[in-house]
Amino acid sequence: MSELLSRVQEPIPNLLDPAIVQSIADDVWTSLVGDGEVLVPLPVPAPEVTVSAWVQITGPWCGAVVVTCDEPTAKALTECLLRARPPVVIEPEDVADALGELANVLGGNVKAALPGPSTLGLPETGPTPPATRPDDLCRVDAQWRGQYLTITVQGAVPAPHAERNEVPL
Amino acid sequence: MRALVIDDSRAMRRIVGSILEDFGYETRQAGHGREALDVLEEGYLPDLACVDWNMPVMDGLQFVSAVRSNPAYRSVTLMMVTTESEHGQIVRALAAGAHEYMIKPFTADAMRDKLALLGLLPQEVTL
Amino acid sequence: MTLTATSFDWVRQLVHRESAIVLQPGKEYLVEARLLPMAQQRGLSGVSELVESVRSRPDAATNRRIVEALTTNETSWFRDGDPFTAFTGTVLPALVAARRPDVRLAIWSAACSSGQEPYTIAMLLSDAMPDAARRVSITATDLSQEMVERTRAGRFSQLEVNRGLPASMLVRHFTRAGNEWEISPALRRMVTATECNLAAPLPRMGPFDVVYLRNVLIYFDLATKQAILQRVRQLMRPDGWLFLGAAETTLGVDDNWERVVLGRGSAYRPRKGN
Repeated sequence: MSELLSRVQEPIPNLLDPAIVQSIADDVWTSLVGDGEVLVPLPVPAPEVTVSAWVQITGPWCGAVVVTCDEPTAKALTECLLRARPPVVIEPEDVADALGELANVLGGNVKAALPGPSTLGLPETGPTPPATRPDDLCRVDAQWRGQYLTITVQGAVPAPHAERNEVPL
Repeated sequence: MRALVIDDSRAMRRIVGSILEDFGYETRQAGHGREALDVLEEGYLPDLACVDWNMPVMDGLQFVSAVRSNPAYRSVTLMMVTTESEHGQIVRALAAGAHEYMIKPFTADAMRDKLALLGLLPQEVTL
Repeated sequence: MTLTATSFDWVRQLVHRESAIVLQPGKEYLVEARLLPMAQQRGLSGVSELVESVRSRPDAATNRRIVEALTTNETSWFRDGDPFTAFTGTVLPALVAARRPDVRLAIWSAACSSGQEPYTIAMLLSDAMPDAARRVSITATDLSQEMVERTRAGRFSQLEVNRGLPASMLVRHFTRAGNEWEISPALRRMVTATECNLAAPLPRMGPFDVVYLRNVLIYFDLATKQAILQRVRQLMRPDGWLFLGAAETTLGVDDNWERVVLGRGSAYRPRKGN
């Protein structure tokens, strides 16, 4: 990723309107999370501990599409995706998988709205990756069922593999 | 009717699988293209394969090409079910031999419409 | 949740009567989620208020919007494929043979919603005849101004293009525009969209060779059905074709039509001598 960081790229706000990200998220929520589920575009204060899932986009624009929320919210999202009815036990791998798939579906649609051709990486999960350049960031602050949830499209995230201090979900 | 659901996400396999089961399908699952080819080689020939694009080991496009190059698998209808949604990507998948293409996210209604297009809707189903 | 049990029950009965779809108890949230935007658009505070207003002043158009909001997320492209198979297989060849090449074929999509039906017809035509743009005009009408504008724009969301549009047609006739898909300018030029209330006297249009009037009549009482069918017939050529929804018929409503079986479906033609 280092060569990507050194290359100058068009910052994401010039390429992508947050309204497009919101409208992609609207579609994802009603069809994937559940009928009648909505991501409300009103920010709430960030919780102290968050988890993230992301997919990398590599092309004319390089970066990642990141979904971030707290752990109980990630678990609730997983229950929705799995259409799980209690007393189904949700394992941590289920949460990583479901949140990752959410990032994947958002990421693929974001990628299609950007200049191409680009490739999409496989979903990864872990602590929220920092945005490297504040000007190369498109952010949708929202809430789902009253809980904090953000979607960011951020330029060239440092390669997550370089950090071995990841905490599993 | 039998379907093979190929996706690296368990959640997505479960979503696609349960929609198909609601339409009367018997389903099997695979986590990537190579695993799906193993299922075919072991003799399980589905009517429909729902194929994700980005997967580890063997991606969906490679899987589609492999299936279409083997005459023994001619009866399998291939539908990409993926978040890849650029115009050019859909053209590539169709050129590789995919019969249909469904973009994630999708609803159960959309799956029913696609199955109807492919002539693979086992019975008239109302949701 | 603002939905009262009485309101939910009323909506359930309406949906069942008009679409034969059963809304199970427990689907209150769905009714709430789908109808709230419609209530808000009308300046009402909630779904129960919307229901109360339609109950006190019955209105077929609102009933139709309620049923549509609850029964479909998005209109399908090849919704009930039969009328389209019949169109390319039988109707179009018959019309091409019967008309002089300098006579434009006129097609009317009479409840075009967000445009899937007129553009489906346009795609079929452009695939079937190379000079479709010169030989055919498609008139698309809807009661709702919003729907007419959406049809004119010819832009569809990702979820909408997933609904029964063959991928080969998507890549041939659409381009990506942001996170939406836009129909090709050539096809958009074939379609003229305007507002039109079928339950009132119709504007001067036509004469049409083919009319698609699907899933509209079911929302009206017998007298209105008869009036609509009569007005539509006056705008049709004597050898034209009318397609109704799968659950609709002219039989027992208006005797001035002849039912013709086409494949698995049927079409209606003005009866000779009327």
